Parts: sequence; structure tokens; C-alpha cells
Amino acid sequence: MISIRQLEFSYSPAARPVLKGIDLEIPENALFGLLGPNGAGKTTLLSILAGLIPCPAGCLFVDGRDMSEADNRSAARLSLVPQEYAFYLPLTVRENLTFFAGVQGVPKAELGARIHEAAGQTGLEGRLDSRAGKLSGGLKRRLNLAIGLLNRPRLLLLDEPTVGIDPHSRHFILETIRQLGRNGTTVIYTSHYMEEVEELCDQIAIMDHGQILRKGTLTELLAEAPQNTRRRESTLESLFLDLTTRGLRD
Amino acid sequence: MGVMKALIRKELLLLLRDPHGLLLLFVMPAVFVLIMTFALQNQYAMSSDVHLDFYLLSEHDSGLSRAFARDLANTSPLNRVPTEAGWEEMQALAQADEVKFLVRIKPGFDDLLIQRQPAVEILFAPGTSPVFASVAEGRVMELLNRLYLRYRLASMPGVQSSLEAQGEDLLETRSLYDDSGAMPSSVQQNVPAWLLFAMFFIAVPLSTTLINERQQGTLLRLRSMGIGPVKLLAGKVVPYFVVNLVQVVVLFLIGLYLIPLLGGDKLTLGAHPEGLILVSVAASLAAVSYALLVAQITSTIEQATIVSGVFNIIMAALGGVMVPSFLMPETMQQIGSFSPMAWGLNGFFDILLRNGTVTDTLPEVGALLGFAALMLCLTVWRYRRRAAEHG
Repeated sequence: MISIRQLEFSYSPAARPVLKGIDLEIPENALFGLLGPNGAGKTTLLSILAGLIPCPAGCLFVDGRDMSEADNRSAARLSLVPQEYAFYLPLTVRENLTFFAGVQGVPKAELGARIHEAAGQTGLEGRLDSRAGKLSGGLKRRLNLAIGLLNRPRLLLLDEPTVGIDPHSRHFILETIRQLGRNGTTVIYTSHYMEEVEELCDQIAIMDHGQILRKGTLTELLAEAPQNTRRRESTLESLFLDLTTRGLRD
Repeated sequence: MGVMKALIRKELLLLLRDPHGLLLLFVMPAVFVLIMTFALQNQYAMSSDVHLDFYLLSEHDSGLSRAFARDLANTSPLNRVPTEAGWEEMQALAQADEVKFLVRIKPGFDDLLIQRQPAVEILFAPGTSPVFASVAEGRVMELLNRLYLRYRLASMPGVQSSLEAQGEDLLETRSLYDDSGAMPSSVQQNVPAWLLFAMFFIAVPLSTTLINERQQGTLLRLRSMGIGPVKLLAGKVVPYFVVNLVQVVVLFLIGLYLIPLLGGDKLTLGAHPEGLILVSVAASLAAVSYALLVAQITSTIEQATIVSGVFNIIMAALGGVMVPSFLMPETMQQIGSFSPMAWGLNGFFDILLRNGTVTDTLPEVGALLGFAALMLCLTVWRYRRRAAEHG
């Protein structure tokens, strides 16, 4: 479904490239994990996929349509869920959902149904009239996700959606994402939690310094992973550390 | 639901949930208008309400000195306060702000007056404003000159009766303000002045919202939903434009109804109040565009609050909001003429004070719209640059 071909990007002609020759094929309905240390280029890649940074022609295709064209992009029905709580804390859950549905052009007749659908998928039905700022960290994460579901996306871009929440909320969010995948949504998922990616994703890419270092299924990646010295088994984390070197990153 | 409708509704909801913002935009200017209107009322209106109290000590007894004392007591707005106190005690009372000034008729008053020597001494209390001091000085001097002439010409038949005429009878006073005889007052200065101050203070809530959106990734999310810079900025301009117009209505209502109710002068709107709408619209566009630029050139809410606060106060101080321009020296008035608040204030004064027409406001309206266009261009340029730098 998503095809990225030789994608190069730098923020200015004089700056060093942030993405270098990215090649990726992400099949439809895939739960695709994108791993990389800080500064690897994940956020830039997500920004290009989300349309925040214009991509050069012939580099990014969704269902065969070139995403450098605005009309194709709006037809792609994608949704970005940023890592931050990207909503309005003084507004209620319902007001937030109403606003984000409104700016995405959801017709008035469908508004109520969409809000209840997104709230239902994320377990927020009982909190619609609560102020977003008063919600717990887990509920805020769920609201962040619910907003991303309002346009019934075919492609969902999740940037670290489980940072800083309790295990129950984390489990709920992962289950929701799994369900979305089963219902036909393609998900691109970035996280620093290797276990989450192992548990959730059927396709994984590890990137660093703007390049894709490895890509494949979990089984394929684990086959070339060195043994974890503590657990004496091959893990995604040991492969990640091996590929991206063990030095500390900013 | 339209995109613009959603953006406007969100912005107004955020403002309604921000008590500090409401305090800043509505309560602060209302309080300023009330305080400053009453505080400066006497500075503008030399009406019967104004009394310049003084003590008089006569150290000479003659027909001329008695005539001087009597006429001085009857001279408006001077008000002789009777006292038995001596000169030293009078000075102590003036120090304590009991009266504005002291008048002493010197011994040998008649001779001194005829020889054109200082026959009267005036001592001003420390807190007497220079305006009041000059009024008192002028009245005393006028009276002394009249007495001198009366004395000199007393022997000439047919002249004396004309000298008995009061100064007011010899002078016809008219105002260019309007035909009703209404005079500009403190409320005419303070309502538009503090209104403009408040309008430009929308920079604080507007930049707070915009910076929060940037920091929390909401702006990123909106952009990923296809909301471009024009829609985003229009989504700020329109609601805050509406807020500015609500400020205009609220402050003008205060001037029209609340201040007279509390005993102050009523705001009069001039013969062409439609000009006020034009100036309000132009001032609002200038204020909103300025606020957008503040949000774009600052990174944190603290920075935005400081930058907008400092610039607003400088613009207000130079623009004649805090101190009326006519009280400033020429150089300060020239510097102040670069302040957008001065343009707005002059536009309002064209209608409220000078009884002008819509055409009279066009130079100020043009300057405000030019300022708004410049601010908007800089905002869009900065927004695009920031977006390109940070994705």
C-alpha cells in the first residue's frame, strides 16, 4: 500500500541530509514498527508521510498515488497521532472531538456518530464531558488516539503513543491498535519500547542516521540478532543496540 | 461544520475558559477607564466643579486692596477659603494640601501697584499642578492689571464705566466641537485611550494559545489535517477581531452610561459615529496582526507575555494613552506619532473630539491597515520559516 522510493531529505540545501535513500514497502493492513534512536530520522519520515514536510515527486506512493500531489494526499485518509497531548486541555473531551472532527470536514449529520465511535474505540464514552486537562495520563493518551480516529483513517501514524502511562492503559491502547489493524487500518508505529513493537508489529524497520539499517518480519530480524548477554537469547533490543551502536544519544 | 466555524468556536471557548485573559481584556480596561476618567476629570473640564482653593492674607488696608481681595474671591475658578490663620500657619496648611495656593497683599499695596512693583505674593502648595498654577497666576495678574488701569483712568470721564465691565462680557467663547455646545472632557480622552490599550493586549491570550498549540503538537496535528497557514491564521484573526469589537462596545457603553451614572461626564460620540466603527475595525486588525507576530517571534508563553507587555506599554506611553499627547513636549509628540496606538487614538479623536467625518479618519485608518498588512506579512513569513525548520 505504501511505497517509499529513494527518499532523500535535508532541511536546507546546505544542511546534512536527515534522510538518505529510504526504501520501504509497507503492505496494506500492516502493523509496521519503525525503530531508531533519537535523531535517527523517524520523526522526519513520519512528518513526510503526514504531509507536514512536502516530499519530492516520485518518492512516496500510497495505493500507487504520488503523495507529492495535494489531491492524492487528501484522498489517502491518513491520520497522525503526535507524541504530545495534541489537543486543548481547557476543553472537554467532547469539545475536543467536535473541534477536530469539524476541521476535518466531518458533516454535521455524522458528527455525533463519529464522536461516539472514536470515544467507544478508546473507552472514553463515560468521560465525554470531562475537561481534558483533568484526565489522567492514560485517558489523555486515549483522547490523543481518539482524535486520530475521527476521520476513520486508512493509514494511522502513531508517534510513541504509550509514553508515560500505566500498564492497564498501555495494554488497552495496544489492544485498540491491534483491533484497528484487524479492521483494515494500516498502522505505522514508532516507539522506544522494544517489547511493545515485538508484541504488536508484524513488520519492523530499524533506522539510524537517516538510513534504514534492517527491515523485515520479527522472525527475520531475530534471526540475525546477537544474544542478549543477560537473557541469553536473541531479542529485538539486542539487534537494535548492535545496529545503532551502544553509545548514548542526545 | 465548516473549518472556519470550528476554528473560531474553539478559540472563543478557549478564551471563555481563561479567566486571566478575560480579566486582562475586559476588567482591566474598564477599571482603567473609570479610574482615569474621574482622576483626570478636573484636568480637562474647567467647569464650575473645579475650585482652586486659596487663603488670602492682606497686610495693607485700602480701597484698592479691598477691591482686589473682593474681586479675587469672585473670580472663577478661584475660591477664597476664609481663615484667621497667620502667614506662617497658612504656609503649614498649604503644605498639608488644605489649599492650592496662598495670596499675600503686601504692605504698601497701592504704591507698589502704581509703581508697577510686585504688590502681591503667591505661594503655591507643593502638589498644585502647573496647569492650575498658571490659571491662578493668570487670574491674579489680570485682576492687578485691571485695578491698575482703573486707578490710572479713574479721573477720565466716560471711561470708568467701561472698565467696570467683566472680562467675560468682552470675550465671546465658542467651541469648534459641535453646535450643541458640548465640550470635550476626560471621558472623551480616556475611553478610546484605554480601549486601544486593551485591544492591543489581546497579544497575551492569542500568543498563549498559539504557543501552547505549537508546544503541544496541536499545530502539527492541525497541519497534518490539511489546515494551511492562511486558515490557521484566519482562525485566530476572526475570533480575536470579534473580541476586539466586543471590547469597543463594552467600553463605549461604560462611557455612555456607567460613567454618567457615577457622576462623571457622558461620552459624546460626535456627529459622525460611523467613523468610530471604521477606526475600531482598523485598530482591531492592527492589534490582531501584531499579536500574531508576537506569537511567531517568541518561543515560550513567558517570552510572549513579556514582549507584548513591554511593547504595549511603550506604544501606550508614546501614543498618548497614559499621558495625553498635548501634555508632551514637541519632540515626544513627534516620537509618539510612530505608535500605532497614537494612530488609533487620533482616529477616535477625529470623531470624538474634533467632530470630524469618516473622511477625516482615513489617514489614521490607512496607517493602521498598513501596519496590519506589514505585521501579517511578517507573521506568514516567520510561520513558514518555522514550519520549514521544524517540520
